[in-house]
Amino acid sequence: MAKARVGVYICHCGSNIAGTVDVLSLAQYAATLDNVIVAREYRYTCSSTGQEMIKRDIQEFGLDRIVVAACSPRMHEFTFRAVLAEAGLNPYYLNVANIREHCSWITKDREVGTEKARHLIRGAVARVVWQEPLEEREVPVNPSTLVVGGGIAGIQAALTIAQAGYKVYLVEKDTSIGGRMAQLDKTFPTLDCSACILTPKMVTVAREKNVQLLSYSEVVDVSGYVGNFRVRIKQKPRYVDLEKCTGCGECDPVCPVKVPHEFDQRLSQRKAIYRLFPQAIPSAYVIDKRGVSPCRAACPAGVNAHGYVALIGEGKYEEALELIRRDLPFPGVCGRVCHHPCETACSRGEAEGAVAIAALKRFVADQAVPAAFIPPRPRGEKVAVVGAGPAGLSAAYHLTRNGYEVTVFDALPIPGGMMAVGIPDYRLPKKVLQEEIEYIKRMGVDIVPNTVVGKNITLEEIFKRGYKAVFLGIGAHRSHKLGVPGEELTGVLQGVSFLRDFNLGKKVEVGRRVAVIGGGNTAVDAARTALRLGAEQVTIVYRRSREEMPVNKWEVEEAEKEGIAIRFLAAPTWILGTDRVTGLECIGMELGEPDQSGRRRPIPIPGSSFTLAADTVIAAIGQAPDLAVLGKAVKATGWGTIEADPETCATAQPGVFAGGDAVTGAATVIDAVAAGKRAAESIHRYLQGQDLREGRTFDVPKELIARKELAEDMEYVPRQEVPTLPITERRSNFREVELGLSEEMARREAERCLDCAACAECLQCEAACGPRAINHQMKEEYIELEVGTIILATGHEFYKPQGLPQYHYGRFPNIIDSMEFERLCNAAGPTGGEILLADGRKPESVAFIHCVGCRDAHSNTYCSRLCCMHAMKQAHLVKEKTGADVYELYIDIRAGGKGYEEFYERVQREGVIFIRGRGVEVIPVDNRLVVKAEDTGLGRPIILPVDLVVLVTGMVARADTAEVAKTFHVTRDKDGFFLEAHPKLRPFHTNTDGIFLAGTCQGPKDIPDTVAHANAAAAEALSLLGRGRVTIEPIVAEIDPDVCAGCKVCVELCAYSAIEFDAEKKISQVTGALCKGCGVCVAACPTGAAQAKHFNDVQIMAEIEGVLA
Amino acid sequence: MSQEFEPKIVGFLCNWCSYSGADMAGTARIQYAPNVHIIRVMCSGRVDPSFVLKAFREGADGVLVAGCHPGDCHYTAGNYKTLRRMPLLAKMLEQFGIEPGRFRLEWVSAAEGAKWARVVNEMTATVQKLGPLNWKNHVRHT
Repeated sequence: MAKARVGVYICHCGSNIAGTVDVLSLAQYAATLDNVIVAREYRYTCSSTGQEMIKRDIQEFGLDRIVVAACSPRMHEFTFRAVLAEAGLNPYYLNVANIREHCSWITKDREVGTEKARHLIRGAVARVVWQEPLEEREVPVNPSTLVVGGGIAGIQAALTIAQAGYKVYLVEKDTSIGGRMAQLDKTFPTLDCSACILTPKMVTVAREKNVQLLSYSEVVDVSGYVGNFRVRIKQKPRYVDLEKCTGCGECDPVCPVKVPHEFDQRLSQRKAIYRLFPQAIPSAYVIDKRGVSPCRAACPAGVNAHGYVALIGEGKYEEALELIRRDLPFPGVCGRVCHHPCETACSRGEAEGAVAIAALKRFVADQAVPAAFIPPRPRGEKVAVVGAGPAGLSAAYHLTRNGYEVTVFDALPIPGGMMAVGIPDYRLPKKVLQEEIEYIKRMGVDIVPNTVVGKNITLEEIFKRGYKAVFLGIGAHRSHKLGVPGEELTGVLQGVSFLRDFNLGKKVEVGRRVAVIGGGNTAVDAARTALRLGAEQVTIVYRRSREEMPVNKWEVEEAEKEGIAIRFLAAPTWILGTDRVTGLECIGMELGEPDQSGRRRPIPIPGSSFTLAADTVIAAIGQAPDLAVLGKAVKATGWGTIEADPETCATAQPGVFAGGDAVTGAATVIDAVAAGKRAAESIHRYLQGQDLREGRTFDVPKELIARKELAEDMEYVPRQEVPTLPITERRSNFREVELGLSEEMARREAERCLDCAACAECLQCEAACGPRAINHQMKEEYIELEVGTIILATGHEFYKPQGLPQYHYGRFPNIIDSMEFERLCNAAGPTGGEILLADGRKPESVAFIHCVGCRDAHSNTYCSRLCCMHAMKQAHLVKEKTGADVYELYIDIRAGGKGYEEFYERVQREGVIFIRGRGVEVIPVDNRLVVKAEDTGLGRPIILPVDLVVLVTGMVARADTAEVAKTFHVTRDKDGFFLEAHPKLRPFHTNTDGIFLAGTCQGPKDIPDTVAHANAAAAEALSLLGRGRVTIEPIVAEIDPDVCAGCKVCVELCAYSAIEFDAEKKISQVTGALCKGCGVCVAACPTGAAQAKHFNDVQIMAEIEGVLA
Repeated sequence: MSQEFEPKIVGFLCNWCSYSGADMAGTARIQYAPNVHIIRVMCSGRVDPSFVLKAFREGADGVLVAGCHPGDCHYTAGNYKTLRRMPLLAKMLEQFGIEPGRFRLEWVSAAEGAKWARVVNEMTATVQKLGPLNWKNHVRHT
């Protein structure tokens, strides 16, 4: 290799470099370095004369390498590369030593600066010798632009580009374009109405044929490079068809759910189906769904508790009942006896108490008449159900709704299973159950009583009769034995059969002293029934403590109120008596380690025996299904229950399904109903030849459950307590104990609902929508786009004053922030444009505290630029609308802008009082607010009593800026805004070529500046689009095929899939167009085959040697 | 210059975040130790461990590698590779007898001029305490 001929040019940069670095001695030093032919210093090397000097030297001295020691290469590398090119040298023979930003500007010590510059120049000279000529690539530019953000900046940029004839995709995260400007009332200094100047632009952009508006959408991924970006966009489900919705608003009044309206800064409420503001674009409505409300998710049968509670709140009882009956044929039953897991899950339970959901269900079941069943088109297939309990009837109900013909075979003379023969009348009046079963019969379900399957008819015979599937819901009606001596004595009864006999109207007798053994619902039901049958003394004996009792805790409370005694931690060991029971010998227990059920295992305490006098003993320690009659037709588990899939209800035998107590052992009505509903779906799928599980979820996934975060200032509203029958009126009769809620109570109770998931899916909107635009099943969609340039116009947020506790924002009324004030004086806002205090009065004095969240070490140090003007405009509006005294507590007035200073003078003339000094604290005193401030004019603290305080908050970077920055590979500044490529010369470029910034995402701006910035970004994009081609730096990786060992380490490391393995040649190859030149593969290559152009090992090693020499 | 030992430190900085961060420190006229000589690479993931070894062999008393914060990489994930490589290298350097304070990996964003200055000051002070490394002579003579 011929010896390189290097020229070194040391720039003074005026005094920027020369002030701290001895440029003269540096030039002398550089001239002594190996390969250096000429070294000069010059005042402004980047000037045209400086450039000419280099060109001249190249020609005159035959230079083939150039080192410029000047400012950062990020500033002028391109300038000097062009100089080389103009002089006929390959531009990549240039190296820039950064002796300004990294050297002269970081020290004032001339000796230190010069010494450091010497090292850097040595490194640059050593490196440049090894630099190689590179050819720049030119690629086409896709003639379309992505604009992210539909505020005024995005709208402006999109319009400018589209009107120049290029395609624009305008992506807006919210449901409408318009952004912050749409929320403003008047704009300073001209006082024209914000909406009046914005909305025509919104309409124009929506109608512009070159603009494709993607509202309610977010960019999730960006790949590719300048001119050729690939973008993935998520379109969130609107649940309203954009094409079909006419924006008529018929859905709005029928929606029962109200949530705080973000557009009005939560000062008003909107419905779950809403339009952001009247002039929204697109004008289509949208449904706010935040998942599944916890109550609904907790219901085993998936009953939409949130939905019917919301409808009850609106007085829509029939609709509420219909909604319940979609999932549950027994609203009246479950409203009374359900253990209501919905209430356990209720978010309000974390505050003053869960919403009384079960009582509301009962109310609506008692209040409303179910709509007549409209039979679907018959499918022509017959299904048999065995057992007319909650599981069987639920299966029959759902199958019938789906068009199947259902026959229910039941062993008992009356239908209802345990609901009929297990639950006593004082909890569930027969009439309620009968009405709900009658409804099922009216639907066409044939219930055949007194038919024991296995005895009167076999499963085989059922199939032979043409039934295509069978559901076994035979319940658990066989009691467990106590297993103690004396069980055969007269006066010993089984809980289940005792209740069954009584409920079937058979004669049952109890003595004066009754002992009931067990802790479940059957035990307590038996005890309370015995009491009503005339027993004088009823004692429940339970082997664990109160906490472990499986029975509903409110049942125990009622039982105790009625005078029933409970002996906890005791178990029977012997039933005493010769032929009749005379007593019960028990032993005391203590609790040991938890057993399989998770409850602590009871252990007998030796020597703790005691005797209980009793003439009747009722054993209620558990029950199991009676599988004996079914014989080998079904497989039993070790627990004596039917073996079946707990989710699909399928058994091992095709076409036979099972669920409810028969599978789970004794459980609850709602669990059985849920099993019946699941089985109905499985049977349908089985009969249609579909997979039993595909696309089906059995439990609501945890991440979909919309738990409500309770607000600190949430109003406590006590739960409505259900009135009960007085204790004295309960003995010797079976009148219902719980009397139910009155209409007024129900309405009040329903209003306690917090609407956790927002949309309750009550489906009222669906019914109200004429054009049938509503689709509650809508799913998110993804769109892939290819664009040449990208403009980020994602906007800003306002500082949230909660961060500054001295202002008590959010804790007292009448302390508001600028945007709340903006809504308050907006004619379309919550007060219709009247500036009112929280209690509806007009304020007589208002204080504006400037610089909240700005120019303050506790929040942000920068000045947000426009807030002074914002506050003055608002002061003017206060004066105009209320005539109140207005104080502006400012630090400095920033009124730089066309007509701004004049506006400042105008509001002073209007009588607004300006006090220079920071508002220090706001203290609520009685009905007013006292502002403590400093008056720097007077030089002393002052106190201002006012009615309303407006905290003038500054613009801050959006909370999601970091995330967006990652998606687009752009960087952020110290305050979180997107970082421009150069603060002065490239204020709308990012460091990623082809991605530009528009508006306040780059930093605080007022509207005129935002529009100008947006148009500038659009011009940059247009410049690329107009050229149609773009040059790309040739700084990419390459793999030497002769050295590559084919290990493929690089292939895995490449983030851009730019390296492919050629299986034939057994080597890896770089696809230049995809490579971005990071050099990750190069650092990992074990053979050195991979090299980064312009950053190869030799060049960097030489630079290391140079700086350290 | 003071008579105190002035360490020579080589800094490998990624073009997009840390190099810009160092530019930012200069633009803000933050005065800090001049001891780090910056070598620009496109991505901290380009830093071959042999660069670090080379710098020590050529007489560096310390080596500093700086890149974008994890998750902020201009090249999506190059700095994650750095995050995996450099701790392994640090272990090896320790086995070579190079004290841990002489090698440092830092994340400096384009906005963190002040952080860059602080990191350089800290590292300079640390290496100053450790004294000259003299690996150059040591390696060449054995």
